[in-house]
Amino acid sequence: MLSGLPTVLVNAALISALYALIAIGFTMIFGVGGILNLAHGALLMAGAYAYLLLERDTISVASLESVTLHPFLAFPIAVAVVALLSYLLYVVIVQFVEDNPVTTFLATIVVALAATEVTLHYAGSASHTYTLIPEDLLPATVGLGPVEGIRTVEVVGFAVSWIAIGALWFYVTKTDSGRAIRATSMTERGAQLTGVDVHAVRGRTWLIAGALAGIGGIFLGASSQATPTMWLHPLSLAFIIVVIGGIGSIKGSIVAAYLIGFLQTGVGEYLGQNFRGILSLALLVIVLFVLPQGLFGREFHEA
Amino acid sequence: MRRRSAFVRLTRRTKALLRRALLPVWNALRLVLGPVDRVLQPLANGYNRSLGRHFGEMTGLQFGILALGFGGIATVPFWSPLFPDMSLNSTLALAAIWAIFAMSWDIQSGYTGYISFGHSVLSGAAAYTIGLLLLHHDPSMGPALTIPLGVLAALVMGLVIAVPALRLRGPYFSLITLVGVLLFTNLVFAFSEWTQGELGINRPIDPFTYEPWLRYYYMVIPMFLIAIGLTYVARSNVGMVLVAIRENETAVSDAGLDPTKFKVSSFVLSSIPMGIGGSLLVYFRGGPVSPSNVVELQNSIEMIAIAVVGGMGSIVGPLFGAFLLFFLEEELLREFFEESSIRTLVLWLLVLGVLVFARNGVFRVLWHGLGAVGGDEE
Repeated sequence: MLSGLPTVLVNAALISALYALIAIGFTMIFGVGGILNLAHGALLMAGAYAYLLLERDTISVASLESVTLHPFLAFPIAVAVVALLSYLLYVVIVQFVEDNPVTTFLATIVVALAATEVTLHYAGSASHTYTLIPEDLLPATVGLGPVEGIRTVEVVGFAVSWIAIGALWFYVTKTDSGRAIRATSMTERGAQLTGVDVHAVRGRTWLIAGALAGIGGIFLGASSQATPTMWLHPLSLAFIIVVIGGIGSIKGSIVAAYLIGFLQTGVGEYLGQNFRGILSLALLVIVLFVLPQGLFGREFHEA
Repeated sequence: MRRRSAFVRLTRRTKALLRRALLPVWNALRLVLGPVDRVLQPLANGYNRSLGRHFGEMTGLQFGILALGFGGIATVPFWSPLFPDMSLNSTLALAAIWAIFAMSWDIQSGYTGYISFGHSVLSGAAAYTIGLLLLHHDPSMGPALTIPLGVLAALVMGLVIAVPALRLRGPYFSLITLVGVLLFTNLVFAFSEWTQGELGINRPIDPFTYEPWLRYYYMVIPMFLIAIGLTYVARSNVGMVLVAIRENETAVSDAGLDPTKFKVSSFVLSSIPMGIGGSLLVYFRGGPVSPSNVVELQNSIEMIAIAVVGGMGSIVGPLFGAFLLFFLEEELLREFFEESSIRTLVLWLLVLGVLVFARNGVFRVLWHGLGAVGGDEE
């Protein structure tokens, strides 16, 4: 039974990278505004569908009827679209209600449910698939030592995930505008006193989180498929990961993403696919009760 | 002062402008409604003297509109034939069930401020208990036996969730109830040879009666009883403690009351009508007991949406909210949009609008407006 271990480990590592990408945007938004953005899954879905719309012809929307862009062009445009959607979500809706966490909770989940209906209307309830890596560029699967048939798109996703994490790390530690984000997530009042425009920081955070969600969503859709309800599963993953890693901590999210990725893949392999979700949910419940601030989180005691 | 973005400032200014522009309209309305208010006042006074102590006092107009609303709901089968191309009897019977859900959610979340995203687990427990009993135990069991067992299951489920979950506060509580929904759904799938998974338990379940108008009353009478019971609790000292928990939990414990005890009680109290509603839903639909019909997250959010539109923390608001939303979705919007996804989208946008711009709910605005017609202190 353990002969499949290398395969399990490789698959777990690949899926964990995707999970990390999904969770970071979610944790950043919580960090700076104390907002749990339940529309995060909807942004992932927006990424997958925006890419699908640009790259393939399977959905018919009037003005984009016959647009089929090269993947390398469609990818950045789709990411930009999602970043913009995320920013608009903040400006048009969230900033009106952000003083009340529970109302924000409700408003963002209603946005997610509304997004499902929009998708249903334009793309139908059927699932869509698309290819991210052109077939003539790279083979569809590669082998790695004893493990055969790893999908190239997942390997590329792994690389992109770490590139994005690296870029984000550079941004929040080495540049002033990035450091302002980190300062705001540590203490809002302190940041304000040192001349940080907290409002602009929030907008910027939503933009960045949206871009990360866009990238994550495109790879998520490519490695499985795009459906109108694809937002729920990654959303629940995102908050399992974020709570375990410590709400607001980017480092914690990455560690927890790998923890959950390996746990789920292992459970799915040795206990059965149906139990994949249950064990991580159980782990989440335990963490919430025993260690509510998570692995790397700090309590938010600011008034 | 916190800096506000230009967009927020613009919206504020528009709101103020709108308020000023609508002032003449309001004055004209007062001129018309004032006499009506005075005519109805003696009736309201009679009510205030007898029952007002238990259910809250009201002005003449408020009394009138409430009587009209309840009267309308109570007599649906008598006036529904006036609209032959609508199926009001079944739409509004379903609305009555969702009104039960929304009111139960309200007594827990609306009053204590501990927002539960997991109330569909409670109704789902009742529905699945009935489904599993009929599937594995004895298909001939009648509702007189299954419904009490279903309600009991909801009650037990309420305790199982409430006792640990209410140790957490704010968003963490909401989060853990949401996890409850996901866990329930996952368990149904995991044990699918027993629960029949995604397709659900599809047993031919006899509804109480095949007569549509009688079936309506099978749903509406429990709803009215639950509404009366919950309003009574909400207006009693217990309700006041629950509101106090929402406003300032520390003050409640400083006053020598144990907030946890009250929170758990309100959760358990709300799980009883949730169980009743879940059981009624099974017998009303007669269809499959499946995750998407009774448990999935969307169900919980719909309950919350109804309560938010009607006005959280008022019991009666969510009741009318259910009838309003179901009438809109199934009847009125059907005239304009054939496709169900568009109708649902319109409703979600409406809910979003209420959440962002009129947090107190539609009916509360109406209610206070009517109360202010007489020019009293309200």
